[in-house]
Amino acid sequence: MTGHETLSLYEAVGKGALRVASVPDIKLLENLGFRVGTRIAVQTRYRLGGPVLLRVEDSYTVAVGKDVARQIGVTEETVAGEPALREAFA
Amino acid sequence: MSGRLGARRDEQVLDRRDAVLLMGNPNVGKSVIFTELTGVHAISSNYTGTTVSYLEGRFTAGGKERVLIDVPGTYSMTPTSEAETVAVRFVESGAKAVICVIDASNLERNLCLALELRHCNIPIVYALNLLDVAGRRGTSINDRLLAAELGAPVVPTVAVKKQGLDELMRKLDAVLAGENPGRGFCGSCDACPYGQPRERGAIWAEAKAIARRVSGKSAARPGFADKLGENMMKPFPGIPIALLAMALLTGVVVGGGEALRSLLLEPLVDGVIVPFFRFIFTRFVPEGMFLNLLVGEYGIFVISFEWIVALILPYVFLFYVSFSFLEDSGYLPRISVLFDSVMRKLGVQGGSLIYALMGLGCAVPAIIGTRASSSRKERLVISAAVCFAVPCISQTGALISLMSGYAWWMMPAMLLLAVFVFAAAALAAGKLVKGTVAPLILEVPNLLMPEPKAYAKKLAARMKNFLLEAEAPMLLAVAAASLLKETGALAAIATAAQPLVSRWLGLPPEAVTGLILGIIRREMSVAPLVALELTHLQAFVGGAVALLYLPCLSVFGVLVKEFKLKAAAAISVSTIALALLAGGLINQLGRLFG
Repeated sequence: MTGHETLSLYEAVGKGALRVASVPDIKLLENLGFRVGTRIAVQTRYRLGGPVLLRVEDSYTVAVGKDVARQIGVTEETVAGEPALREAFA
Repeated sequence: MSGRLGARRDEQVLDRRDAVLLMGNPNVGKSVIFTELTGVHAISSNYTGTTVSYLEGRFTAGGKERVLIDVPGTYSMTPTSEAETVAVRFVESGAKAVICVIDASNLERNLCLALELRHCNIPIVYALNLLDVAGRRGTSINDRLLAAELGAPVVPTVAVKKQGLDELMRKLDAVLAGENPGRGFCGSCDACPYGQPRERGAIWAEAKAIARRVSGKSAARPGFADKLGENMMKPFPGIPIALLAMALLTGVVVGGGEALRSLLLEPLVDGVIVPFFRFIFTRFVPEGMFLNLLVGEYGIFVISFEWIVALILPYVFLFYVSFSFLEDSGYLPRISVLFDSVMRKLGVQGGSLIYALMGLGCAVPAIIGTRASSSRKERLVISAAVCFAVPCISQTGALISLMSGYAWWMMPAMLLLAVFVFAAAALAAGKLVKGTVAPLILEVPNLLMPEPKAYAKKLAARMKNFLLEAEAPMLLAVAAASLLKETGALAAIATAAQPLVSRWLGLPPEAVTGLILGIIRREMSVAPLVALELTHLQAFVGGAVALLYLPCLSVFGVLVKEFKLKAAAAISVSTIALALLAGGLINQLGRLFG
């Protein structure tokens, strides 16, 4: 993984920090701060077609239903040197 | 329906240009600040009708008595729901000043609304609230710097601990006196120091930049409520906690309601109120049908007190005591998220579960509450499911008293039946109603202990609203019942319906009273059965018919008001048909195998 591929938010469970790459045109999403570049992390994906629970910009929690989560594109957050650091501490 | 109402209310708002608006994102502690600033008395008004009906109260600001309006929470000036539309209309109708509450633990997003409000030509004071929560999260904010950035006073507050509110009032007074403590307020658009309103992207960028400049980060120290709130969101222990909470809610309402009713309200109604009216009317009205209509067995002045005050009020009150607590603590959105997958299978989204829970109290506020959901389809589907299978709290009480006299398995069996019919009704309505259901997008607020004063105020407003919304149809029902009884129509119908009641449902002929009165009040379809000697099967059939039966005249009235006569009639006719069909089938099968 280079971190530049766009994947759907719904598939991005267990990926750590993510950045929004594309958002469907839904006003409420925009008002809740979902824009290209917004930092999010998936906390939980509920089973049986449930929603994903997200931490947005590390300051608030939003639940997004499966159908919408599938339409949100995200990329993995990459910070220069970070993987190396992670390995160093592993 | 709501359009005309909305227009009329708008004019009322326009008349009050002296008001101060209290605004902010949802869940930022606005209501607590409102309660602290205005004291006990508040009027609850339904603008275009939302679950978040707004409150207005009086307070002294700028040396003058003014109205403070608790505007429904909004994320931005581009509304996404009816409640947010109301908020925007308030701003557009004008006011003397705005108190904009900002969540310090969530600065960036809250600043977007703050920045947008600068272009509304109204002086602003900012309350930087929830500083304690921000502190636990390791966020510190330089409020002076923020004030300089916003060009208006910023007052740090922890509203639940009453911190900073005196200072907030001082700053508001100064602003109302025309003082200009910051860079100045947005005046006429040409001269506005903030330039012309910009598009959302630019506002977000500015909010982000400001948030970065004024806040610092350190290590987070989550408290007990934060951890509990997080755990409640995990499937385990979240789901067991949710089930426990619902069981507890039922216990409080049913048990407490029974106690309130038998110890306080029934003695009051039967011993004081009703005898008082009997005494008055027998002195001035000659004996006969008219007197019976007033104070006879089914007299208007008798059953309106017996039903509304003694039978309904205690349960409704306790239900709202528990429900408002869950609501103010921020728990309900957590339930919506946990059960979204289940509700999705039924064709609606998790948020709808809240209305079903409200329906356990009374279907009237539940159906009115669905106004907050974004699609008509969802409103209709969930309203229909509630009408079919969710018993109101007074009926639940009556059902429990009926079943407990027979066998332990009846109540769980009834619950299973209700869940099954709820699911079937939602699925069927989903097939029949055209349109789409909006998916779940929901901010999960911090879990917190409700602030007692704000909670009490909301509860009072709720009870008042319930009485106003439900009282008129109830009085009508009471009058109808009274007329039926006094004209002898009740007895005639009982004779005519005997084949259905006795042969098909296998119930004693007296049970027809329940079927007729059940049209008017839901628990009245059960109550007449309690006094009868029944077999186990009869008790279960009677309970099942009552459960599935038409959900009372008040609900019918609300259905007509919200969805027009056609949908209301369709729901009502099919509930009655289903109740009789299911009751009969249970009876026939029970006979076959029993």
